[in-house]
Amino acid sequence: MFADLLFRLRALLRRNSAENDLDEELRFHLDQQAAKHQARGLSAEEASRQARLDFGGTAQVKDECRDSWGVRFLETMLQDVRYAIRTLRRSPGFTACAVMTLALGIGANTALFSVIDRVLLTPLPYLEPQNLVAAVRNDSSTDLRDIQRQARTVAQGGAINIRPMDYTGGKEPVQIRGGFVNAGFFPTFGVTPMLGRWMTPEEDVGGGPDYAVVSYQFWQNFLSHDPQIIGKTIPLSGKSYTVIGVMPSDFALPREKADVFVSVWVADPNAESARGVHSMHPYWRLKPRVSIAQAQAEMSAIDRQLMKDHPDTEKNRQTRLVPLQKALVANIRTALLVLFGAVGLVLLIACANFAVLLTARGLARRREFSIRTALGAGSGRLLRQTLTESTLLSLAGGAVGLLLARWGTTFLVTLRPAALDRFNGVRMDLRLFCFVLGVSVVTGILFGMASTWAAARGDLAESLKESARSTTAGASNHAFQKSLISAEFAFALVLLVGAGLLIKAFTRLRAVDPGFNPDNVITMHVELPEARYAGIPSQTNFRRELQARLNALPGVETAMITDLPLGGNYVTHGIVIDGHPPVPVGSEPDAQTLSVMGDYFHVLQIPLRAGRAFTPADREGQPPVAIVNEEFVRQFLPHQDPLGVRIDWPRNDGRHVWMTIVGVVADVKHLGLNQPVEPAVYAPYAQTDERWRRWMTLVIRTPAQPTAALVEDVKKVVWSLDGQIPVGEVHSMTDLMSASLAQQKFNMLLLGIFAGLALLLASVGIYGLVSYRVSQRVHEIGLRMALGAQPRHVMTLAVADGAKLALFGIAVGIPGALALTREMTSLLFEVKPTDPATFLFVASVLALVALAASFIPARRAMRVDPLVALRNE
Amino acid sequence: MDLPQGTLDLLLLRTLSLGPLHGWAISERVQQISSDVLRIQQGSLYPALHRLERRGWIKAHWGLSENNRRAKYYELTKSGKRQLEIEKDAWQKLTAAVAQVLATS
Repeated sequence: MFADLLFRLRALLRRNSAENDLDEELRFHLDQQAAKHQARGLSAEEASRQARLDFGGTAQVKDECRDSWGVRFLETMLQDVRYAIRTLRRSPGFTACAVMTLALGIGANTALFSVIDRVLLTPLPYLEPQNLVAAVRNDSSTDLRDIQRQARTVAQGGAINIRPMDYTGGKEPVQIRGGFVNAGFFPTFGVTPMLGRWMTPEEDVGGGPDYAVVSYQFWQNFLSHDPQIIGKTIPLSGKSYTVIGVMPSDFALPREKADVFVSVWVADPNAESARGVHSMHPYWRLKPRVSIAQAQAEMSAIDRQLMKDHPDTEKNRQTRLVPLQKALVANIRTALLVLFGAVGLVLLIACANFAVLLTARGLARRREFSIRTALGAGSGRLLRQTLTESTLLSLAGGAVGLLLARWGTTFLVTLRPAALDRFNGVRMDLRLFCFVLGVSVVTGILFGMASTWAAARGDLAESLKESARSTTAGASNHAFQKSLISAEFAFALVLLVGAGLLIKAFTRLRAVDPGFNPDNVITMHVELPEARYAGIPSQTNFRRELQARLNALPGVETAMITDLPLGGNYVTHGIVIDGHPPVPVGSEPDAQTLSVMGDYFHVLQIPLRAGRAFTPADREGQPPVAIVNEEFVRQFLPHQDPLGVRIDWPRNDGRHVWMTIVGVVADVKHLGLNQPVEPAVYAPYAQTDERWRRWMTLVIRTPAQPTAALVEDVKKVVWSLDGQIPVGEVHSMTDLMSASLAQQKFNMLLLGIFAGLALLLASVGIYGLVSYRVSQRVHEIGLRMALGAQPRHVMTLAVADGAKLALFGIAVGIPGALALTREMTSLLFEVKPTDPATFLFVASVLALVALAASFIPARRAMRVDPLVALRNE
Repeated sequence: MDLPQGTLDLLLLRTLSLGPLHGWAISERVQQISSDVLRIQQGSLYPALHRLERRGWIKAHWGLSENNRRAKYYELTKSGKRQLEIEKDAWQKLTAAVAQVLATS
């Protein structure tokens, strides 16, 4: 085989010398033969004639020899390629349209599919991830231990709770994320440390050794890659921990982020022995061949048992198990599936477009092909030539598409919202590229060949006659093309409606009043270490002094609050209202509870609706006060004056410390701009009796955009009070606002890009079809004009040709869009998936684009000179 | 007598198994050995030779003829020798079978 190829190549490359050799060989033969005849007595002339007769046709023999060299195939291929390049260059418009159609289809699809593939389809980087489930409910370590003891369907279980810790071993004190875990956590995921080891169950007990396992990133950033780190100690929140392990660099927690891992029993023995403190996120590994339904049934049974055994702390236990992968993408699943659909539609449109372009071209070349067939070209040869052309186009489109795909993937990665953070390995997937390229190429080749086949096979004489008259070609071919164009418009409509709905929802969302003024506000998180600030008086003194020193900075207004709106955190408490009928213990209504120092409402410009704001006089030793939001009044005090009403948290002993409501403030979107407002209670830090409220967020308003220098100043002020306190999570309020919109923006942008692409492709398609039809009908148009038709009639004719197809596609697309956009309901904020305005707008845009795209070639029709058109034939 | 279909290769290989020859000499030799019964269409000789060369069964080199002219000589290669045995075998089987058929009728 190889030798054969070598021979052919040598023959091809040494074409001239091979020809010379052949000539010489045959000449020698003829001379020998002539000499033989001469020896028999013929004259020289007669002998040579006889020799040629013996031999037969020299040219034919030579041709047969060349054939047997096997260079024919390669030669015709090169010829085809050269010819194809020449013809493609002669029609740059067609070539550009076809190449761009393919490139856009291939590029955009590969890029987006790479992201989707990574998020939805790639298995999690854990051992046998299909057996991992997450529990959609936090639990206490004590409960988890009981569950683990009873459960027969799970092989392993582990849980984690992220809490801030202070690392004071570096230049500045920093707040890091501590993963409070139990010993089963990493074995459940089947991950082992890169250095050292994981903690054993014997070490994971109250009073156990202070051991820590650190993340790769922490080891890199704070422990300077020390390979001898195992056995050394690091200071964390006032205690010193011995490092026993370093995690591998590619390890990531499923949902949480943590810098160090410590045993929850060791680091927080008091809280963790309490059954009622449900703060751990549990993960379970099912035994092999156990279904999620079996595990769920067992878990529910255990829940019931726990409720029976511990009625005081275990109320309303309803643990729901979800496969880990599903739990992780739950929030973005719909968005990704919608995008998935968009990818498919754009691919369909691109393929349809390519097919339309090639079919149109095939039909346009009917005459050329007919003539060539009449001159003896085999239909195989013509097919091969079309094949070469389609392949060349596909390769060019694929090359440009590859560039677009790489660029697009990078673009998507830079856009990605926080929800995609875990998926840091997103890169262009070469297999996907090949798949998409393959689909497009096959489409192109099939349609290209089909049209050539039709042209080459048809009745030769008929076709020559027909095209000589330049009437439009076979009606069936046109019906096919037309339906492709209409389909493109239908698909484009679906995409545009989807994008339009998302854009509308996004603008609605952006217009939502958050309830505060986010401009020129910078925020920072500070947490007081328990070791030095266990008591409430020391916390209050620190806050009051910090507040005073910060307000002394020029132009600065400062307040503190436990949790910021849109910051992602909140604490809720049950609420008891004085004078309302008593509610059974454990079923009190919930409200967000926020502690405040300073004039928070003034700093964030949250309007006061009734009563007064907090004053410095609302301090320890004074009557406790509270301010509630409007939603609180709506839900709990609908028919009474809220001012003067007394409220408290539920207390086991029933000895209430009532807070009097002194003010009502406007609602603030705490959970997110698209989330409903919950009832909220604000109370002064100075009057709280909850010692664990040791953290606060500094909210600082400046006259202009806050600067980096200000952040440094604030840090210095904090450290002037206590040099061991980390200051972290520096965000401006506007950043928090845009972060809360990031996911919606991501969805909108992506679907928008795809819809734009669909629009572009569909208009290229209709433009291509109409210009082709105009060029085919030049003769007819000339005739009409010669018979007195006005240019504008001719133009209307051509435009109507395209517009009809587009309108038909739009009409078909509307019910399709209605069916599909229903799936998007959860993505749409305050917009119905059937929003008539969006449908109307999109339909008109599409119709206009179709008109514009048909108008350009139609103008060419208008300028047809009847004389020239008719004489041409 | 014209050659039956497919026997040209066998004849060429067989002829060349006696030693290197140029094209004209091959056609003469076939005629001579077969006592002038078999006659190779001279035109079909060269395409066949070139085809055998491509298959690697024979190889060609330029040499000097009896009358001191440059001539293209063909000789059998190793794989050509193997091929000759195969074709000889096949031919013998074929003729034996045909002979048997003729004998029984």
